[in-house]
Amino acid sequence: MALLTALALGPAAVDARAAAMAWTVDPAHSQLTFRPRLAGGEFAGRFERFDATIRFDPADLSHSSLQVVVDLLSARTGDTDRDTALQGSDFFQTTRWPKGTFTSTGIKSLGDGHFEATGKLTLRDVTRDVRLQFRFDPAAPSGGAARMIGSSNLRRLEFGVGQGDWRGTEWLDDEVRIEFDLALRAAR
Amino acid sequence: MPLRNTAEAYGSLARFLHWSIVLLIVPQYFIAEAAEELPKGLERLQLMDWHKSLGMLVLLLTLARIGWKIMNRGLPGPIGNPWQRKAAAAGHGLLYLLVLAQPISGWAMSSAANYPVTLFGWFQFPALVAESHDLHESLEDVHEVLFYLMLAVAVVHILAALYHHIVLKDSVLRRMSPFSRPQA
Repeated sequence: MALLTALALGPAAVDARAAAMAWTVDPAHSQLTFRPRLAGGEFAGRFERFDATIRFDPADLSHSSLQVVVDLLSARTGDTDRDTALQGSDFFQTTRWPKGTFTSTGIKSLGDGHFEATGKLTLRDVTRDVRLQFRFDPAAPSGGAARMIGSSNLRRLEFGVGQGDWRGTEWLDDEVRIEFDLALRAAR
Repeated sequence: MPLRNTAEAYGSLARFLHWSIVLLIVPQYFIAEAAEELPKGLERLQLMDWHKSLGMLVLLLTLARIGWKIMNRGLPGPIGNPWQRKAAAAGHGLLYLLVLAQPISGWAMSSAANYPVTLFGWFQFPALVAESHDLHESLEDVHEVLFYLMLAVAVVHILAALYHHIVLKDSVLRRMSPFSRPQA
């Protein structure tokens, strides 16, 4: 898998000195959650499919980067009507824009294993600068996965997620909390 | 009218709770029916939010009513012959049970579909059950059946009160009426 990735990305990706350590996400043990507030109450939804290209070394942040591609069609909230609405033109409009992408432009340390990534998030046809905070737990020496656990508060209306009636924020808050918990294995 | 119950009549708090619960339950059916008619969208969500908040208010007021009943044992003396008293006790017990079970089933129904339940957005109740499509479908049926049961028992309750008032001419209806003063 790593070899295929390396071949696909070409020689630049193979040069370990230019980029920090590469990780692959273990999808079975990773979660990407969104928490909207609806009528004063919060609920959690999840994206069941997403890909992340992660190069991360806490000691080499200048060569670290995060790139996440989310399959918006995989948004699930426990109610098929609501899931259908999310795919529709009032929200993600997945027939035109099926993916959301985040590409980091910089990562800085906040100390004590905590970091902040700034980057560009694209939803629908809108790209905006966002920040996300996360913690990085290296893999235990006994083995197992490293973890990257973090969150970001997005403003859905900046991206046009919420058209028609849903442009209002009285019933559906503008701010939507995004949480991620990624199990990372060193790509070899 | 005294706050507490007396031997002759219910006090003002018991009457307030009884009638506020009635006034909150009656529109519930119509709100839910109106919401069902609407296409899926914000308006429907707003109506359903009213339905859910009013239902949670009914649940809280019913718990308060039961709590007050337990704390305040000096109820008006029993009226009627032994079988009538037993029937009344059973009917009232069933009515309390249904008025509690109805909002609880609705709350669970929302939780099963991962919809938040709040009291008018002031605070959020925790999810009662885990997200489950099948459970949501079953609870939808339960919520509907409970409504018709509650309606049937409420009709019997109203007929019994009118029977006491009109045929037996006793004080049963008067002692819970929202306006009348207890008669000596």
